Amino acid sequence: MLEIDGISVEYRADAGPVRAVDGVSVAVAKGEFFTLLGPSGCGKTTTLRSVAGFETPIAGRIAIAGRVVYSAERRIAVPVHKRDIAMVFQSYAIWPHMSVAENVAFPLAAAGVRGQEARGRVARALELVGLGALIDRPATQLSGGQQQRVALARAIAKDASLLLLDEPLSNLDAQLREQMRGELAALRARLGATTLYVTHDQEEALSLSDRVALMRDGRVVECGTPQDLYYRPKRLFTAQFIGRAEIVPCTVARRDGRTTLLETPLGPIASACGAAGAAGAASLMIRPEHLTIVPAGSGAPNTLPGTVASAVFLGRLFEYEIDIGGRRLKLQTLSAQPHAPGARVAVHAPPERCVLIDETTERH
Amino acid sequence: MNARRWAPRQYLPTIGLTAVLAFLVLVPLGFLLVSSLRPGGMPWSPGFTLANYMAVYADPALPRMIKNTLIFVAGSVALGLLFGGTLAWLVERTDMPARRLVRALVILPMATPPLLLAIAWIMLLSPRTGFFNEVLQKALGLSGPVFDIYSMAGMIFVEAVAVVPTTFLILAPAFRNMDPALEEAAAASGAGPARILWKVFLPLMAPALISAAVFISVAGFVVFDIPGTIGMPVRIFVLSSQIYYWGNDTPSGLPLYGQISALAAVFLVVLLALGLLYQRATRRMTRFAVIGGKGYRPRPFRLGRWRIAALAFAGLYFALAVLAPLAVLLWTSLMPYLTGFSTEAMKLATLANHAAVFENRRIGTAALNTLIVAACAATAVTALAALISWVVVRSRAAGRRLVDLLAFVPISIPGIIIGVALIYVYLTLSFLPVYGTIWILVVAYATVYLSYGTRSLNAVLIQLHAELEEAGAASGAAWWRVFRRITLALALPGLVAVWIWVAAHAGRELSSALILQGRDNVVLSTLLWDFWSAGQPNRAAAVGVWLIVALGVMVGAWQMLQRRER
Repeated sequence: MLEIDGISVEYRADAGPVRAVDGVSVAVAKGEFFTLLGPSGCGKTTTLRSVAGFETPIAGRIAIAGRVVYSAERRIAVPVHKRDIAMVFQSYAIWPHMSVAENVAFPLAAAGVRGQEARGRVARALELVGLGALIDRPATQLSGGQQQRVALARAIAKDASLLLLDEPLSNLDAQLREQMRGELAALRARLGATTLYVTHDQEEALSLSDRVALMRDGRVVECGTPQDLYYRPKRLFTAQFIGRAEIVPCTVARRDGRTTLLETPLGPIASACGAAGAAGAASLMIRPEHLTIVPAGSGAPNTLPGTVASAVFLGRLFEYEIDIGGRRLKLQTLSAQPHAPGARVAVHAPPERCVLIDETTERH
Repeated sequence: MNARRWAPRQYLPTIGLTAVLAFLVLVPLGFLLVSSLRPGGMPWSPGFTLANYMAVYADPALPRMIKNTLIFVAGSVALGLLFGGTLAWLVERTDMPARRLVRALVILPMATPPLLLAIAWIMLLSPRTGFFNEVLQKALGLSGPVFDIYSMAGMIFVEAVAVVPTTFLILAPAFRNMDPALEEAAAASGAGPARILWKVFLPLMAPALISAAVFISVAGFVVFDIPGTIGMPVRIFVLSSQIYYWGNDTPSGLPLYGQISALAAVFLVVLLALGLLYQRATRRMTRFAVIGGKGYRPRPFRLGRWRIAALAFAGLYFALAVLAPLAVLLWTSLMPYLTGFSTEAMKLATLANHAAVFENRRIGTAALNTLIVAACAATAVTALAALISWVVVRSRAAGRRLVDLLAFVPISIPGIIIGVALIYVYLTLSFLPVYGTIWILVVAYATVYLSYGTRSLNAVLIQLHAELEEAGAASGAAWWRVFRRITLALALPGLVAVWIWVAAHAGRELSSALILQGRDNVVLSTLLWDFWSAGQPNRAAAVGVWLIVALGVMVGAWQMLQRRER
């Protein structure tokens, strides 16, 4: 449906050209909700704007619904208004000199759809986003959340093959953002449109997407389903950007069926997840919320004796730092059973949650 | 197919606009330079000489002219900043009574053309017949006049009064938007009001003050109306009046074009440098991060006992800039000959001069010409400036910086010099039958006011979020549709404001119109000049009153639009 094939985008800056996107390739299937996630300046928005046609890459190829809209080799660059896309902008870009209906009707008028049919499609699009009652309201009299919905309706009304969403929720306050996230999920289930979504918010990415591409410095670091990236990250950057992660340097000792035995500063640990082919120096990733505290001296595998170094009470949760052989490990549990600092405890790390990553922290 | 091949197409907008701008700006300047090196003083006359430069720069009278020009400019900067700055500070940062009224009225003097302001002040302060002088002389029992308008001080005074509205418009927003926390922090650190003014307020406002000062300087170098009416009769020449004199009133009767070009060429370098300085100052002003969040309301400075004095100061300004000039013009327009105000004279009152405004064929033609020229120049500037600003602000076309610069350059070219240069251009390119018609005035005005148009529309477009246009393209609309339905529609108040401003200024522009005057292109400003210099002050006053009324309506409309835009 959408093929992005090795595109690079450069900006001219005072100190010479800056490469904002560096050889990004992504393939989005029909009906898929695909998210570009990453910190600011990672190139995610530039990639999206290249698909829309606002940026012209210097290399690569982009095809939407089987039609090549950009190709460096064939010297093709289809202008924005001739691409089969609809887009929702970060600032919503609601035209203040038009009413709600005029805003939504604009893409229809541009396509030559007029009269009864246009009115019907405008009304339907506004119904879909729950704004049917505000159809004649001037655009200047809308709240932030309503503007967001009008922007969505305007994009839906165009009925394009590909929907582009550029951080659509980032200008809303926290409560409204959560609500709109829910509505966006419901809407995408109803529409089933192919969607390319850009955000820096991992919760949005994980909760809405079929697949996520995590980007950094103009490149795709890792691409996969939300659960892949959370449970089985292949890269240290993924592990640390999505959720929280404890990274422990380790050495691969031996393999034993599906588990790998690791030598770590915490002691020997068995990992049943991650880079099967790793050898020598590597990294062990454990998420604080996957560790549990078990009674000291239970002797089960992957159970490490230690002392509680600090305990922070967060209400629903307790956050501990456990001193294990001089190294501190973060751990998060529900607050049912508190442990005081200084208490001797044991920490259990389930082997399937001990992710072996074939990367060392020095290189990272 | 629909697919666009990338190629030189992206350079088309800048190439097209650069060509237009080069023709409007660079070609006349080039002709000027060539003419300055010709013995005959015309671009096509044969030969090559430096004699014109010798004649100008070896002239023993030159140093005095330069000194006069510099004193005139420096004086009007000092007085203009003092008046305009004080007014802006009183209105924006103090608890002066009637602040809003003052803010609404402060640009009213813009409706009074500098020519009429000068004429009015001559009527008020001329040593022989000045109204004020007569009154003071009688009251104090003096033998001679108190004031003499025909002096450098008189010229500076009138010019300063004329530049106050623009100075106010540059300074007031900067004063208003300054984050009060910066001053409050100084107060909390133990600084008193005077210390805050000197150590915090003025340094922070330096970019705005510098840009106002440079703007007034440019205006002072460029203006002809005031030095022409007040200075020339007593042979106090500055740059603009010197050029006019060489063009029209030489002893031999022949215009000294070669010398004019040689003088203009060197002064243009100075003026262009000032223009660029102004551009940099205003750019720094926008970069200066003293503009705080929106919610703040600056705590006004408490004037206490001085509140009345402050209001009196504002009142004095209006009296000097509007009431006194308008009153004397109105009075004179009702009199059959120049006479002081008295009850006996009241019996002479007649509407004959006003009737002539509507009956006299020459005045009728001039009024019609003025309307056509003002409307055409305003439309041309608005359309061209809209395209230029869009390319400069929005597009990524290569060379847009050059376009911006070229559109800015005319701000520092005196109307007199543009006039002379256009004579060269259109006498040379005689296949364009423009010389001596109203169309050469349209070209001159469009050139002179283009920088104003692009400056204001740049500001308007920068405030329009780029995503508003991108959303149009993403909706499937082609460039022209987006430009028309979104960009222009959203910028409409700004476009109309530019149109009105240019039309109002074209309606009063004198210097280039005088130089380019032929038989068929008389406009109201040149007619006024003719009436005045031919000794028909009453008729000039009547035309002036109606011109002020018309311009007043336009300026009022312009200000309402500006207000709505904020």
